[in-house]
Amino acid sequence: MSHGRDGYFLDDRPDDRKPDLSLLRRLAPFITPHGGLIALAILALALGTACQLAGPWLIKLLVDRNLMPRTASGAWPLIGLYLGSLVAANLFTCLQMLAVSVVGQRVILEIRRRLVARIQTLPVRFFDHTPTGRLMTRVTSDVEALQELISSGLVSTIGDAAMLVGTATMLFWLDMRLALVTFAMLPLLFLFVSLLKKSIRDANREVRRRLAGLNAFLQEHISGIAVVKAFGAEGKADRAFGVRNDEYTAETVRLTRYYSVYFPGVELIASITVALLLWRGGVRMLSGAVTLGTLVAFLEYARRFFDPLKDMSDKYNILQTALAGCERIFGVLDAEPSPEYGESAGRGAAISPPPEGRAPAVEFRDVWFSYGGEPVLRGVSFVIGEGETGAVVGATGAGKTTILALLIRLYEIDRGSILVNGRDIREIPRTELRRTFALVQQDPFLFAGTVIGNIRAGGEAVENALAATGVADFAAGWPQRLETLVGERGGSLSVGQRQLVAFARALARDPRVLLLDEATSSVDPVTEQALQNALERLRSGRTALVVAHRLATVLTADRIIVIHKGKVRETGTHAELLAAGGIYARLHALQFGDP
Amino acid sequence: MTPLSRLRPYLARHAAVCTFSAAGLLVAALCGVLIPWLTRDAIDGLSMPDGEARLVRAVASILLLATIHGVLRWLSRRGLLVAARRVEQSIRRDVFTHVVRLPLAFFARIPTGDVMSRMTNDLGAIWLFLGPGVLMLMGTVVSWFLAVGFMFRISVTLTLAALAAAPLVVLASREYGRRFHIQHRNSQQSLSAMNAALHEDISGIRLVKAYGLEAEMESRFAVSARDYYSRSVALSRTSATFHALIGLISGLAVAIVLLLAGRQVIRGELTPGGFVAFNAYLAMLSFPTMALGWVINLFQRGAAALGRIGEFMDQAREGTEAIPAALAPGRADAPMIEVRNLSFSFGDGERGEVLRDVSFSIRAGEVVGLVGKTGSGKSALLSLLLRLQPVPAGAVRFRGRDINEVPLPELRRSVSFVGQDPFLFSDSILENVCYGMAGVDREAAQDAIARARLAEEVAGMQGGIDTVIGERGISLSGGQKQRVTIARALCTGAELLLLDDALSAVDAETEQAIFHELMDVRGGRTILFSTHRMASLSRCDRILVLDAGRIVEEGSHDALLAMDGVYRTLHSRQSLATEIEAAT
Repeated sequence: MSHGRDGYFLDDRPDDRKPDLSLLRRLAPFITPHGGLIALAILALALGTACQLAGPWLIKLLVDRNLMPRTASGAWPLIGLYLGSLVAANLFTCLQMLAVSVVGQRVILEIRRRLVARIQTLPVRFFDHTPTGRLMTRVTSDVEALQELISSGLVSTIGDAAMLVGTATMLFWLDMRLALVTFAMLPLLFLFVSLLKKSIRDANREVRRRLAGLNAFLQEHISGIAVVKAFGAEGKADRAFGVRNDEYTAETVRLTRYYSVYFPGVELIASITVALLLWRGGVRMLSGAVTLGTLVAFLEYARRFFDPLKDMSDKYNILQTALAGCERIFGVLDAEPSPEYGESAGRGAAISPPPEGRAPAVEFRDVWFSYGGEPVLRGVSFVIGEGETGAVVGATGAGKTTILALLIRLYEIDRGSILVNGRDIREIPRTELRRTFALVQQDPFLFAGTVIGNIRAGGEAVENALAATGVADFAAGWPQRLETLVGERGGSLSVGQRQLVAFARALARDPRVLLLDEATSSVDPVTEQALQNALERLRSGRTALVVAHRLATVLTADRIIVIHKGKVRETGTHAELLAAGGIYARLHALQFGDP
Repeated sequence: MTPLSRLRPYLARHAAVCTFSAAGLLVAALCGVLIPWLTRDAIDGLSMPDGEARLVRAVASILLLATIHGVLRWLSRRGLLVAARRVEQSIRRDVFTHVVRLPLAFFARIPTGDVMSRMTNDLGAIWLFLGPGVLMLMGTVVSWFLAVGFMFRISVTLTLAALAAAPLVVLASREYGRRFHIQHRNSQQSLSAMNAALHEDISGIRLVKAYGLEAEMESRFAVSARDYYSRSVALSRTSATFHALIGLISGLAVAIVLLLAGRQVIRGELTPGGFVAFNAYLAMLSFPTMALGWVINLFQRGAAALGRIGEFMDQAREGTEAIPAALAPGRADAPMIEVRNLSFSFGDGERGEVLRDVSFSIRAGEVVGLVGKTGSGKSALLSLLLRLQPVPAGAVRFRGRDINEVPLPELRRSVSFVGQDPFLFSDSILENVCYGMAGVDREAAQDAIARARLAEEVAGMQGGIDTVIGERGISLSGGQKQRVTIARALCTGAELLLLDDALSAVDAETEQAIFHELMDVRGGRTILFSTHRMASLSRCDRILVLDAGRIVEEGSHDALLAMDGVYRTLHSRQSLATEIEAAT
């Protein structure tokens, strides 16, 4: 997917605040390692500017010493110097461009890597609230804007400033009076630029906002194209898209109109200045106050004086966009990593007493948890012994999935404690904790790649996993077999097939504890039976915690935990719970009762 | 169709504006080129007796010309650039209109990111090509020729000397244009790869964390980011050497011209004013030379973009097959659905034959269940009834007509489909539920939500039925999403309802309640649904059992149980517990 600078996930928040220049200071640590290249760039810039300024001066000398007196003596060194200044100016400019571009690319490479490293350590809560697209923008367009700032903004602004000061100095040095004529035009230029600047900035912001809306609409309708088609809503989509397209175009047209008047306007002011200089300069030449050479050089310097001023407004826009991007980038880099990624995670092993004898594989002790609002779990306690299979059952939204997520510390609990083999999970190093488990999600995520590649992502025990889950059997019917591509998020496979692959991936991990989250809800009973048999075999010496609605899964469980409205209401074996005649018995009758 | 010829109809609409703008640019360029000429007159006039009067006249003319130049450039820029924006707008609209009508197979083949990229980045490239690209081309080409013309009037030898370098510049531009093209493509590709790695890392973050794949994902990203870095640096290097080369060539040319011009002035063959004017024209030449590379770049990108968009536009839309006018509309007494010897495989050839020789029929008003193992072809079969995939001719009849001869809008108005993956738009619940209706009907929506057993939860939300869901709003649970999709399907006036395992994330209790409600209040609707929950099938009129793409059993629940076949096996596995329970 290609997100350019005109990419489609620009933040909705318009960048209308004053750019915070202190952000630039935070960039310093990223830039300083490339001090050598920066020094080279600045040196090249200084030399390039000097060479460029020398050109008109040499022409002046040539006109006054050779052309007007009509003598060739001493002309050769001047022309040689002129050629030298042209070539050198050009080489220095290219050198500077290259150095700065390499610095920019290196800086953003480093920022990108740090961003991704940081993003991976952020708590899952963060991802619950941040759409993927917006997070991608941090690493793509925001970073790209920063590169633009470093590569073309920062150094060229210094270059422009150097050129401006240099040209102004030359103007004053050549002729004070004419220089004042040039400067007299500056207020007119600034008035013109400032009249348009605000309108251009506003239009720019509107364009970005509308584009973001347009692209969000577009993406949603492409992802949901099957729904658009199933409801025959193509015409409806056309009209809605048309409205957004027209609104966006209205803004781009407005911006285009401003820019159409901006550049010719600045050029006109420059031309008027040069014409006035020609007039005043000519008059002064007649009175002998200046030479023709001075006048020629002066006209050339004056023309160049306006060049850096021409794209002033653009430079400001680049700066503003980049700083806004910078702020968002540092926002991510500054985000607090999830505690399990912290320096001290898992270092407190001494605090928890070493398990005496055989501690339960998994234990929840009065666990309270909420996603921010109402508590989802209210004082949940249960124990799964080593080698046991625990089954969590309950109505939708009862908090079953949450239990699995908490066990591998995807979220931090509010109160209570969770123990794995007698140790509090907050004291177990993250990698060790997560190596203990293999999770099969409700909506299994597959990486775009081959079937076998996805299974290998789980671990080494691929052969076992293939044999146990029957993935090899259904893949046998495909021409590419296990090398079949699964598509984006596994979209080429049916939901059931995706679950089987996810299941195989979990088994390939050869985990101590298997976590299944309603993983069998889209698998038919026969396949499920096969899985059950496989599980049976694989469960020896392994602990499992399963969230399921199905009897086949819970039937062989050593312990069934019935969750209702965030609380454990019943625990026991299938037979015990049926006999108790509570919630479980009711659920069972509904789902499995003979019609 | 060549990429550029696609633009003709769009450009034709703006022909008048473009012509006026081109004329405006021509006159503006002429004014611009006349200014150094007048400067020459002014300078040379200074040595005449009436020097000052000549000077004032020349300066006044320059001011006038500069003003005309400015105004004309303003107007023609505006005309041309706005026209380009309008063309972009029309193309974007047409591409969208076309793309949403492409068959589903197209979207299975092309990743979302690619479609997005063509509709955003490539459209942007087309605007840059039509707007700034054409503007710059016209401006520079006209100025170049006019400047050369005036230079010839000043001195033929000098002009020939100045132009001597031009072929070198053209050669260099062509060579570098080719390199730019290749390097741009490479860098775009590696950018795509980097973004794909990132997208996968973020969207699969829960899995990445659960499996401790952080380091692996990080290094995967780092590899692609470094690749993009080195390609970008290579591009910068090419660009720097190109500029250095062009600068060197034109620098040499300017020095040589200066040398010759100086000698001519000393010999009295050229006036000082002529020297100054010639220098100004030389400067005018150097800009178009520099801009050439940029224009070539824009044009190449624009043409490539047009080609990429053209690939989409050349895809045939679905439902454009000629429909015999003579055919009568469907007969009311014909079966709702009649499938005869239907065999089907997905176009990608990855998965072989999904359905084999399937035959069955469904009468209007029947409720039919569809069961079978994972991958047995249930979803494929349901999607064919909606013609989401190409249907072999004559294999499926809808109300007595070949389904391929039913106009798509009519078919999809008559059939309502709920898929496995619930997809909702980031809009209010009300808008989502009313998606299949012409307008928003609050009452109908409330009713449908109640029937989907969602009323209580919706009422509990802050905004009620107007709560916005999705990226910018709250996120619903899997079961809630599925129930919204059910409500959405109920809101349409469709006579056939297809449910593809549409309640898998809802608990058994709710699924059964919804099914019973559907059967009770279906008002003559025909329902075909697939599920894995055997208990939900008990009230069906008939059940179809699919196995490896074939219908292996068909009949009522009781009849199938008596048959001792696949259905019985499926069923007995789920009620195994009951039996164990009964035995103990």
